[in-house]
Parts: sequence; structure tokens; C-alpha cells
Amino acid sequence: MTKPARPIPGPARTVLIAVGMVVVGLATGLGTGILSGQSGPGAIAATAGLIAAAMAAAIGGSVWWWARLDEAAREAHKWAWLWGGSAGMAVGAVPMLTFMMHGDTAEIPFWLGDTPAEAFGSGMVAILLFQTAGYGIAWAFWWLRRR
Amino acid sequence: MNNRLKVLRAERNWSQADLAEQLGVSRQTVNALETGRYDPSLPLAFRIARVFDQPIEAIFSDD
Repeated sequence: MTKPARPIPGPARTVLIAVGMVVVGLATGLGTGILSGQSGPGAIAATAGLIAAAMAAAIGGSVWWWARLDEAAREAHKWAWLWGGSAGMAVGAVPMLTFMMHGDTAEIPFWLGDTPAEAFGSGMVAILLFQTAGYGIAWAFWWLRRR
Repeated sequence: MNNRLKVLRAERNWSQADLAEQLGVSRQTVNALETGRYDPSLPLAFRIARVFDQPIEAIFSDD
């Protein structure tokens, strides 16, 4: 494991990357919002391109951030992703599989969406939220055990 | 794994932040190392040995 490229104090690094991600998110939201009012293959391609650019920026930001983490912080994130993310996915699988198996009779909340695309999106976001929650808990647990 | 990090640091009147800066890690990592709840990678162990000018086996032990 190599020494971090150029250590930046943890809070400053977190704020910097968070602000960067918010700016990218707002710009992407603005752009896709404008494009959603237009129809046709050109608008769909432009929306996909804008989102792809935002994701590329997110990956680039993550690489920059990761290169400046020390090895214990990296270990905490890897452990949290494996155990917290996996456990969160397992918890999220309970409602997902239940709804799938009883889709014809189960009362699905209206805010999950009316169309298949909306329901698909809600399902993806729900799993991500479960994984993120598990990740956060596991990350805090890793550091608390080492205090 | 046990280590003598805290003793060696105290002998030099260094704070955890001082040692962290020399090693290029966070203070939290130094704390985790000192409490023996985190074992360093081999490259970090070598950096620690260089900072204290001692062989690795004089700092870390597996008993």
C-alpha cells in the first residue's frame, strides 16, 4: 500500500469533495431538468451524456479523495462497504423480494411510482439507501472499535 | 500484535499529531495503532521504523 499522494486534513477533504459533488449534482439536475422538457432521441442522448459526465466526475473525485486517504481510513471504508453494504443489501432484499412475490396483491405505496420505470427507479434507490445506511453504520463501528 | 509506539513517542515528547504528520497518516490512525487495534501494512511499518530509527522487530511483537 503506497503513501497517500498529498495528505489533506480529513474534515477539509470531506468538505471539499462534498461541495464538489453538490456542484456537479446541481449542474446535472439543472441540465437534465431542462432536457426533460424536450422530446426525441436527441434529448434522450443528451440526458444520458450529461448523467454519464456527472458519473465520470464523481468517479474522478472519488479517485482524488481515495489517493489522499491513509491506509486505516481506506481499510475502514473497504470493511464498511463489504459488511455494511452487503448487510444493507440483504435487509433491502426483504421488502424487494416480498413485493416481487406478492406483486399482484400487495399494497405498494403510491410514492414508489405508478409506471414500471418509476417503480424500477424507486427500487434501485431503495437498495442504494439500505446499502448506504449499512455502510455508514459499519464505518462508524470500525472506528469506534479502534478508539 | 503489540507495539511500543506510545512509549517511543512519549520518549520524544511527540504528540499523536506530530507522529501522524511524520508518517503521512491521520491522528486517528496513530491512535488506532497505539491501542493495538489496527495492525499497519508493511510499508507503514517500515516508515514507523525509519521515523524512530529502530528495526521493525524492536517496535512490533506478535506475543
